[in-house]
Amino acid sequence: MKTLLILIMAIQLLLASNNSVNTHKVRILETIVKGITLQEKIVVWSDNNSLLSVLKKQNNIETSYKCINSTLIILEKNKNLKEECLSKKIFVLNYNLLSTIKKSFGALFWKKGRPNIVFIEPRLKSQSISISKDLESYLEDRVW
Amino acid sequence: MVKKKEIFLLLFLLSLGIFFIYIYNYIQQSQEEIFSKIERNKLKNIEYIFKNIENNIVRDNNITDSKELVKLFSDNEIRQEYEKHLSLLLTPTIKYLYLLYKDDKDRFRFLLDASKIDKANFYQKFDVTDEKYKKLYETSSVQIIKQKNMENLFLTYLYPIKSNGNVIAILSVDLTTKIQHIILELISPLETFFIMLIIFIFLFIILLVVQVFYYFMTRKRIFTDPLTQLYNRNYLQEIIPSLQLENYSLAMLDLDRFKNINDTYGHKTGDFILAQSSKIFKKSIGNNDILIRYGGEEFLLFIYKDETNISSLQVCESIIENISSHLFQFDNNDIKMQVSIGIHENPVLEKNMNEAIKVADKMLYIAKSEGRNRVVSFDEKLRTIVHSKDINYVKQALAENRVVCYYQPIFDYKTNKIYKYEALVRIIDSDGSIISPFEFLPGLKHTNIHYKLTQRILSLVLDKFKNSTKSVSINLNFSDLINNDIENSIVTALKENRDLASRVSFEILESDEITDIKLFKKKINLIHSLGSKISIDDFGSGYANFRTILDIEANYLKIDGSLIKNIDTNEKDFKVVKSIINFANEANMKTIAEFVHSKEVYNKLLTVDVDFLQGYYISEPRSEVVEEEKLFKI
Repeated sequence: MKTLLILIMAIQLLLASNNSVNTHKVRILETIVKGITLQEKIVVWSDNNSLLSVLKKQNNIETSYKCINSTLIILEKNKNLKEECLSKKIFVLNYNLLSTIKKSFGALFWKKGRPNIVFIEPRLKSQSISISKDLESYLEDRVW
Repeated sequence: MVKKKEIFLLLFLLSLGIFFIYIYNYIQQSQEEIFSKIERNKLKNIEYIFKNIENNIVRDNNITDSKELVKLFSDNEIRQEYEKHLSLLLTPTIKYLYLLYKDDKDRFRFLLDASKIDKANFYQKFDVTDEKYKKLYETSSVQIIKQKNMENLFLTYLYPIKSNGNVIAILSVDLTTKIQHIILELISPLETFFIMLIIFIFLFIILLVVQVFYYFMTRKRIFTDPLTQLYNRNYLQEIIPSLQLENYSLAMLDLDRFKNINDTYGHKTGDFILAQSSKIFKKSIGNNDILIRYGGEEFLLFIYKDETNISSLQVCESIIENISSHLFQFDNNDIKMQVSIGIHENPVLEKNMNEAIKVADKMLYIAKSEGRNRVVSFDEKLRTIVHSKDINYVKQALAENRVVCYYQPIFDYKTNKIYKYEALVRIIDSDGSIISPFEFLPGLKHTNIHYKLTQRILSLVLDKFKNSTKSVSINLNFSDLINNDIENSIVTALKENRDLASRVSFEILESDEITDIKLFKKKINLIHSLGSKISIDDFGSGYANFRTILDIEANYLKIDGSLIKNIDTNEKDFKVVKSIINFANEANMKTIAEFVHSKEVYNKLLTVDVDFLQGYYISEPRSEVVEEEKLFKI
């Protein structure tokens, strides 16, 4: 009985923890998207469907279910990046993807349990992407 | 008594509950304390290790500032070597171990990362928000961050790597919540033991509460009469040992002619009447009074003596009034009821509860005898009646032939001869003493033993006088007169012996309860037809119906002793006696004055033309008939 109770509590904590990370992630992404300025209107697409669903509910963010119709891709996995979408602006959710996808201009990822944001300054400039003042503290010259 | 038990149980459970809450809190506090002690111990060990690492990095490499440190770890091989060594410290509780450097823009960057998972690249930026990172640089001291909303992380330990007193890097370790699990595992058996103990004791308490609940439910069922919802006799037995009888009056209540209700309207109506009457009783009594259904339609009421409130007698009168004024309606029948009550206002004076109940019961009997719908209270005058010998005493005397007759002469002063004798019953006690009828007759009325006693007297007297020339008077009451067995005995004995019949008089109590005048007259006529005479006994003591007395053509009127005993001094009694004699003369009846106990009384009676005299002054009752020469020998 006691074991069962502990198991139930652990599952609840785990779910609460996942929810907490997701909520946190969405909130940060919302700030990032709002802090980015492209030369065209930002229409977000993500290979993470649950993330896209949550973003869709945000008032000031326009989303698309098709990559091709978007202007900003939030990418979780490299394999999900379709060839016809390579021309889009790419923001990744994994630090290593910054090295893999040379075009990606920034990343949001969790390092040692803490959220980290990185914008690669040369890539921003080459793609005419500007970021708000608040995000400037996350600028890096290169991917380490 | 019950209330005390309940309060004690409640306090006991409450104390137990508080005790368990205290124990639980104590366990929780102990757990926190154990956590804290283990943490401190573990962190102290980490501090020693980190001190060694610091020495190894800074002194062995002659590092003087952070730039040199960055330069050192820019070398891939050196970095890997250090990370390899540091990774030896990783345990299930030490999840991440890394060296951070603060660059010129105050951004923290990884110089070393010994972590097996989620490994950072060299010089990769590390976003930290906690102020303790900055504080470490300001204070050059160890900082501990208690993590709250970070997955799997419980605590971050920041150790300053210093060179020449300046902080040049931070050696950081992230501890996982596993340390808590380890601590919990350590204390788990103890905690489980306490939890099991608490669960067991709480289950026991629940069981106890259920048991107590059922106990009180069962008690209620055992002690409550289901029809009236009043207490029953079981409850009486329960409270007898603890009842402070000096605080109560004791009343016995009985619904009048209840049997007629059952016979006339059926038992359902009877039950309805009982239930309704009980409600009326309850409304009529106080909160401290105790009402018990004692038998069929009999109720026992303990009335609490409260000096500020109405008296016990008033409570009883209120009950009588409330019952008699209520109209019972059942099955389209309107029924009026009455209740008789016998009350003993000081039951504590009796030897025990049973004696007190017996007294109240006898008072109830008197209330019934006196016409019902009334309350009769016990006083000392009634003690003789109440404390008379019981039925078994007479039964045994009959069985052992210890019932005898004494004979007191009735004197004719005009002829100076004994006119007749009155047969008076006595019982010879087992110790040889003579027991007067006052001590055993009151308890026998309407019982079968009374009839047997009457038959025995008839047998003794008629047997003694059948071969004599003397006359005798025998006492009978109305219930004797209408008893078939007694009637048969009289008729059998006198029908065959007319001589004896002519010498026998039957003294019928004037005060007796003669409910059926027609039947009474019929029985008197039977006695007349046998040739015997009728005497009205104790005339003047009851509620004489002169018409009836005239109708039955009684031969004698025996004037009640209470009017005679003080006739020499009490003028009123004298006048009453004179009037009775005049009435008797007019009705052609002879008069007998009993209770002639002194010469003065005797002489006074000679002045009023009474016919016969009887009393101790003339002769006391004796076991044998006395002759004239033995009279006036006091």
